[in-house]
Amino acid sequence: MLRAWFDPDGEFNVAQMVLLSSWSSWIVALVALSVVVVLALAWHNVQSLRPSRRRWLLTLRIAAVLAIVVVFLQPGVRLEHVTKVRNHVVVLADDSRSMGLFGEDTDTRTEGVRELLTDEAALMEQWRQKHQVDLYQFSDHARPMGDVSELTSSGDTTRTLAALDDVAARFEPEDLAAVVIISDGADHGALGVAAGDTPTPIEQSTAERIGVPIHTVFTGPEAPPKDVIIADVGYDDFAFVRNAVSIQVEVEVNGYDDALVLPVTLRRDETLLATRMLQTTPEKARYTLEFEFVPESVGKAVFTVEVANAPRERITVNNKRQFVIRVIRDKIRVLQVVGRPSWDERFLRKLLKKNPNVDLISFFILRTSASLDVARRNELSLIPFPTRELFEEQLGSFDLIIFQNFTYRGYQMQQYLPLIRDYVKNGGGFVMIGGDLSFASGGYTGTPIEEFLPVRLPRDGKLVNLDRFEPVLTEAGRYHPITMLDIVPETNTKAWEELPALSGTNRVAGLAPKAVALANHPTLKTADGPAPVIAVREFGEGRVLAVTSDSTWHWDLLAVGEGGDSRNYYKFWGNAIRWLIHDPDLKPLRVHADRDRYPLGAPVTLVARAFGPDYTPAEDAEIEFRVSRRRDGSDDGSDDAVETAVCQTDTAGECIVRLTPPRDGGWTVDASANIGEVELTDQDLFIVATDPIELRRTAARRDTLARLSRAGGGELRTLDDGLDGLELVEPRVLKINRRRDVPLWSSVWFLLIAVLLPSIEWFLRRRWGLL
Amino acid sequence: MKIHRRQFLTCAGMSLLAAPRAWALGDDTRVSISLLAHGGSEALRPSSVEQLMWEASKRTSMDVRERPVAVDPLSPDLFRSPFVVWMGDGEVPPLPKKAIERLRRFLRGGGMLYIDDCSTIGDDAFDACVRREVKRIWPDRPLARLSNDHTVYRTFFLLEYPRGRIIRQKHLEGITFDDRCPLIYGRNDLFGAFSRDELGTWTMPVVPGGQIQREMAFRLGINLLMYATCLNYKRDQVHTTAILRRRRWRVETPRDTR
Repeated sequence: MLRAWFDPDGEFNVAQMVLLSSWSSWIVALVALSVVVVLALAWHNVQSLRPSRRRWLLTLRIAAVLAIVVVFLQPGVRLEHVTKVRNHVVVLADDSRSMGLFGEDTDTRTEGVRELLTDEAALMEQWRQKHQVDLYQFSDHARPMGDVSELTSSGDTTRTLAALDDVAARFEPEDLAAVVIISDGADHGALGVAAGDTPTPIEQSTAERIGVPIHTVFTGPEAPPKDVIIADVGYDDFAFVRNAVSIQVEVEVNGYDDALVLPVTLRRDETLLATRMLQTTPEKARYTLEFEFVPESVGKAVFTVEVANAPRERITVNNKRQFVIRVIRDKIRVLQVVGRPSWDERFLRKLLKKNPNVDLISFFILRTSASLDVARRNELSLIPFPTRELFEEQLGSFDLIIFQNFTYRGYQMQQYLPLIRDYVKNGGGFVMIGGDLSFASGGYTGTPIEEFLPVRLPRDGKLVNLDRFEPVLTEAGRYHPITMLDIVPETNTKAWEELPALSGTNRVAGLAPKAVALANHPTLKTADGPAPVIAVREFGEGRVLAVTSDSTWHWDLLAVGEGGDSRNYYKFWGNAIRWLIHDPDLKPLRVHADRDRYPLGAPVTLVARAFGPDYTPAEDAEIEFRVSRRRDGSDDGSDDAVETAVCQTDTAGECIVRLTPPRDGGWTVDASANIGEVELTDQDLFIVATDPIELRRTAARRDTLARLSRAGGGELRTLDDGLDGLELVEPRVLKINRRRDVPLWSSVWFLLIAVLLPSIEWFLRRRWGLL
Repeated sequence: MKIHRRQFLTCAGMSLLAAPRAWALGDDTRVSISLLAHGGSEALRPSSVEQLMWEASKRTSMDVRERPVAVDPLSPDLFRSPFVVWMGDGEVPPLPKKAIERLRRFLRGGGMLYIDDCSTIGDDAFDACVRREVKRIWPDRPLARLSNDHTVYRTFFLLEYPRGRIIRQKHLEGITFDDRCPLIYGRNDLFGAFSRDELGTWTMPVVPGGQIQREMAFRLGINLLMYATCLNYKRDQVHTTAILRRRRWRVETPRDTR
C-alpha cells in the first residue's frame, strides 16, 4: 500500500517505513522517557476537572506530544529498487595423475568425471537460474576450467584442502551456494594423511572457512587396483665415502589376494648394488626393506630402487624410484711415511694432527738395520713396518700419501712402487718432501715413482745442495692455489719474500713433462733453467707435489722467532692438501645444476664458472654444455637423448644456461671449455623425475571424501548418484539499484497541527482555570 | 743391561762401519739440542749432550748434530733448534722479562724445553727457581706430574720411570698444551749420567743403580729426543690397526645380499 501511495509510477519494487533522523539510541530513549513524564504530569494536572474536560485536555496533550516526537524522529518512507545476486556453486574436479588410472566402470577416473558433468549439464543449467556455476580443476591448487573437455589428469600431487583454501580465498561464504568436489579421494596432503571417520581439526577449520555445504562425489573404484608401489625411500642426501650407507625402502602392495615374491633391486647407475626378495602376504600392505652399501668414490651418483612388476599389474610407473646421493669424504685420509725423525717431520705432523679434516696414519722409521741393537725386543716400543698392509691392502683407501725424507730401499718395497704409481694414476695424491733419503738420494731414479714425479732425477753427480736459499716464485706460482698465501698477487709475492730461508735442497735434473714449477732455487740451475724446489704435476687422474727441501718447518717456528707467525706455513700445506685431493673448490671449471631433481618438462638451470691458469675468473670464455641421459640399467638405451648449449662467461667467469630435458631419468651435464689452451672439463648430474608423489598412492579413498563432506555439512555421493538434490544455499546478497527516501513530517499541514494542538490545549487550560 | 768399556768401544767401531752414509741437507735439518744459556748451566755437564746424541745416532735412525749450541733466550737462535735443554744447579737469577716472553713464544710456537735439575739430593734451590720461572712463563698452567703411561716413556724404549745420575723423583713433571708437552721437568740429573771423558770413562758415578741405571738414563734421553721430534706418534701408532678397522676404510665391493 505504501508503494502504491508513494510510488504510483511503479519505479521501485520495495517500500518501507524508516526513521530519517540520525539520533543515537540513548537520545531516543531519553525522549521516550520525557514523553512518559510529560503525560504523567498532564494526567496529574487534570484530576480536579470534570471527566469530559479531563478527556479533552489529555487527548490534546497526547496529540501534541506525538506531533513533537514525529518532528523529532523524522519518519519517512524508503522506496528501493533491488535485485538478488546469484551466489556461486563451485565444482572442483580432480585433475591429478591418479585420475588417469582406471575407475569403477570407466577406463580412467577422469572419464567418469567428464561423463558426470556432461550428464548433469541440464541440472547445472537449472542451477544457473539462481546461482553461478564455476568449474575448477585441482590437484594441489584450484584453477578455473572453461569446459569439461579441458579436464586432464596431469597434476603431480593431490592436495584437496589446499584447493579448498584457494576457494575460500576467492569467495566469501555469503557468495557461495555450495562446493562440489569430484575426486578419487587419493589425497597426498593433510586429508590423505588422516584416517578414520571423524573430521580432523584442520578439515573442520577448512570447512568453516568455506561456510557452505561441501559435497563430494567419489569417482574411484571401490577395490584398490593391483599395484606394487615404491611408496617411500629413506636416504640422506649426503654420504661418506667408504662408510656404510643405509637406504630404507617402503613398498606398498595393493589389490593382491595371493602371496607374491618380488625382487627389489638397488642400482648405482647401471651397476647392481644389491637385490632383496620381497615376500608379501595378503594381510599386509606395507613392507620395509633395508639396503646397505659402501660407496667407493666421492661425487654425486644416481641411485635407482626398483621392484619387479607383479602379475597383472597395470600401473608400473611407480615401481621405480630414482634419487641422487652426494658422496663426500668424511675426512682426508693421509698416510705420512717418514724415513727418520726430524724437525721437518715434527712440524708437518703437528700441522696434520691439528687439521680436523685429516685422518692421519703416520709411519716413521725410527731404527734402521744399521742401528745398534742394545735392548731386547720387549724393551722397545717398535713395531714392524707394515709395507704390505699400507701399500697393497690399504693403498686405495688413502687420499694422500706423503713420502717425507723416506727411501723405499731396505724395506723390500720394490714390488709396491708400481702400485703407488697406479694409485696416483687413478686419482690419488702424492707428495715427496726432500731430505737425504728422498728424490735421487733416496734411490728413486729410474723407479716407477720417478715416472709421476714433477721433477726429473739426476743419474749421478752431487745429489744435494746444502746452501741456505730463499725460493723464488715462478709466474705460475704467483697464482697457483698451492702457493697462494694471499689472493692479491703482489701481496702474495711479498709474503714469499718475507718467509724465512730454507736450508739445503735435493738436486734435480729439471722439470718432468707437463709439470709446473711453482718456486725455483735462486741460484741452482738445471739443463732446462732454474732448479725447481716446489713443483706440481697431474699424472693420470692424480696429482703430485714435490718439495725438494726438508726445512719448510722454518716457515713455522723460525717465522715465529722473527716476530711473525706460522700462518703461511699452515696456509701453504693447507693449500697443497686441498689441491692434491682435488678439492672441488679449486677446479678451474665448475658446473652444477641448481637442483638435484626436476619434474619432467621443467627447465633445468645449469651454472658454470671458469678460471684461467692463474686462477682468476676467465671472462668471455666459451663454455659448451652437453646434457645426456644416463643409462640406469633398466632401459634399453636405444634412444639416448642429448641436449647441447653454448654460453659465454661474464666478468665473474660465470655463465648460465637453461635446458629442458625431453625424457625422465638421470642426466649428466658435461661442461667443457678451452682456457689458456688447456681443455677443461667438469661434470654434474641431476634427475628428471617421472615418479610423481601422486602415483605413490593409487588406491581411491572414499573415507577422505566422506570426512570432508561430514566436516562441511554436505553429502557424499558416487558418480551413479549424480548431483541432483544437493543442498544449495539460496542467494543472500541483494543488490540495490535505486533508492528514494520520502519524509513524512516535512509537510506544512503537519507543522500547523504540531503548533495548533499545544495552542488549543493552552487556551482550554486557561479557560478552565488551570493556568 | 750393563755395557763395559770394551764392549762400548767395539760396538762403536762396528756401528761406524755399518752406519748409513748421511747426506743431511745442512745442520739446520739435523736433530739437535740447544742449551739454554742462563746461570752458567750450559757448561754444567760438559760433553753430556754429545754423548746422548752419539748414542741416539747409533741406536736410532736419527740424523743428529752432536755438538750443542748455547742459546741466549734473547737471541733469535733460540728458534733454530726446537729442542732446548736447561740444566741447573743451585740458585739461578730470574730470567729477564723479555726472555720469559720469548720462551713463552717459543714453547707455544712449537718448541720444547727440558729442564734438568742437576743438583745433589737435598739441594732444592734450583727446583725453587725452576718453579718460579715456569710460573712466569706459563702462569695459567702449573707443572703437573706426567703419568707413567705418558708417551715420553714409550717413544722408543719402554720405560717404567725416569732415571738419571740419581733417582730423586720417580716421575717427570710437565705442562700440557695443544696435545703435547712443550715443557718437561726432571729432577734426576739426567745429563749428569751421560758425561764421558775423551778416553770413554764416565765422569760421574751413577747412584744407586750403576751402569744399568746409566743405560736407563740414556734410554730416557733418547725417548726425550724422540718425543721432541715425533710428538705423540707412538700414541696413535699403537692404535693404527684399530683406527683402520674402526673407519671401515677397506674398499668393499658390492655384494648380492640375497
